Amino acid sequence: MTMLSVDQLNQVYVDTYTGEATVAIEDVSFDVPEGQFVSVIGPSGCGKTTVLNIVAGFVDATGGTVRLQGSPVSGPGPDRGVVFQDFALFPWKTVEANIAFGLKTQGVGKVERRAKAQEMIDLVGLTGFEKKYPHELSGGMRQRAGVARVLATEPAIMLMDEPFASVDAQTRRVLQQEVLRIWEQRRTTVLFVTHDVDEAVFMSDRVVVLSPRPSTVRADLSIQIPRPRSWTDMHTNTEFVRIRRELMTMLGVETGVETGSRSAP
Amino acid sequence: MSVQANSPSRAGRHAAGATPPTPRRASPARRAAALLRRQPIATLLPFAVVIGVWAVVSALGIFPSSFFVGPATVFDSMVDSVRRGILPAYIQDSLTRLAVGAAFGLGIGVALGFLIGLNRYVRKFCWPVLLFFQAIGDIAWLPIVIIWFGFSLTSVTVVIVYTVTFPLIISIVAGLDAIPTNLLRAAASLGASRWRTLWEVYVPGALPGVSSGVRTGLGYGWRALIAAEIIIGTSGVGFMMFDARRQGDVSHVFVGMAVLGVLWYMTDALVLAPLEKETVERWGLVERIGR
Repeated sequence: MTMLSVDQLNQVYVDTYTGEATVAIEDVSFDVPEGQFVSVIGPSGCGKTTVLNIVAGFVDATGGTVRLQGSPVSGPGPDRGVVFQDFALFPWKTVEANIAFGLKTQGVGKVERRAKAQEMIDLVGLTGFEKKYPHELSGGMRQRAGVARVLATEPAIMLMDEPFASVDAQTRRVLQQEVLRIWEQRRTTVLFVTHDVDEAVFMSDRVVVLSPRPSTVRADLSIQIPRPRSWTDMHTNTEFVRIRRELMTMLGVETGVETGSRSAP
Repeated sequence: MSVQANSPSRAGRHAAGATPPTPRRASPARRAAALLRRQPIATLLPFAVVIGVWAVVSALGIFPSSFFVGPATVFDSMVDSVRRGILPAYIQDSLTRLAVGAAFGLGIGVALGFLIGLNRYVRKFCWPVLLFFQAIGDIAWLPIVIIWFGFSLTSVTVVIVYTVTFPLIISIVAGLDAIPTNLLRAAASLGASRWRTLWEVYVPGALPGVSSGVRTGLGYGWRALIAAEIIIGTSGVGFMMFDARRQGDVSHVFVGMAVLGVLWYMTDALVLAPLEKETVERWGLVERIGR
């Protein structure tokens, strides 16, 4: 069953200073079946984050449609949980209150809310940090809370926008494995945006590659590495190495091509 | 790790971990006692140094005593004036005026600040007017206010309300604008309604702005009060200072200045700082302010 369907997405920006129109997204279409982990990668500035923001309902597309379980979406909603690059935890709420926030908006009672939040806290490995405020946690722990906050409400799809870009390299490897471990338990449908080829290949069932701006879908690769996956044996995995090389070539990493500009909002 | 009994010590709270986010309501008197118990030297030493320098300067006799008096003389005047009941009555008058003016000013300022900060149309309409009136300082209003309301408490209150309101509005609007977009997006994607977003995101998110606005507003209001009392007062600390000047009584002018400083310090230490400590500092939104 198709969970998310992105159809002929098109996005044009008008620069407020120069009045110039920029085509950020030319034509992007792809489907995400239920339970699949799909990554979107592409050169920086290709508009992959914009695609995610449109799916999340934060940004209105100039053209095209986004359907979730068959019905078109407009505006943000709890059926699409978002994990942000900068965590976006509420600084004035404890870890527990942050994770329970989505349940609160759904009118879940206090006792049930607390039990559910605790379950999520245990799942992501934040046991003992329930009463801490976000600024008291490390980057890695904050993102664990960010993931737990989304999973607590059991959204139809989890959207992750470069979720590990703000944490250090070692923590990133750990978190990638952790998120896979959690995902394998729950099999939530995931749309994952990243610029990190290794991360995309390691995490995903499928990788959608966008071209430089104005972006189109350049490739859609299926990744047949058996799960559970772990970083320790990944660099000797022939499938991993093959897909990684293919993607690197496609993104021009080998030839040193860099488009340079920061990704659009 | 022991759970803190009553001291609002920052380190202790963090270590204890299980402290509920809502603070115990401590009375100002208890806070004052706690403050002195915890850091008597840190609190009093800077003042001791200032008083020491002051005493030395006056003892050197550089300035004639009709212009500049030492701390001992000022202290005597203060004791005398307390004994005669003048100073306590005047302080009470000033504080009452400030409290009334500040209460209205804070109420109006907070309401308008959120309204202007959150509604695009209201902001577009109000902002130019706001900047225009911001330029007309508190004392510039006194002539017309006196014509309208005479030498009355109403006049003083109007001026204080005016001075408290404007910095508060501007600070709250800035505070609301500084809330990261992603927090609002997160709330929306977690299904928060408009009201929930207002109470659980905008209000706490704007608190750094509110707290700096309250600081600036109360500071300005305090100054406006003294100015108003000098011009239209019949009592109060400002009146006392100006009255003393008229009689050439320098030491009572100094008493007034010392009282102003002490009262403001106490407002900060007993009201503003503890509130900030429990909220914006606790949440890591701002660094400790000047402490």
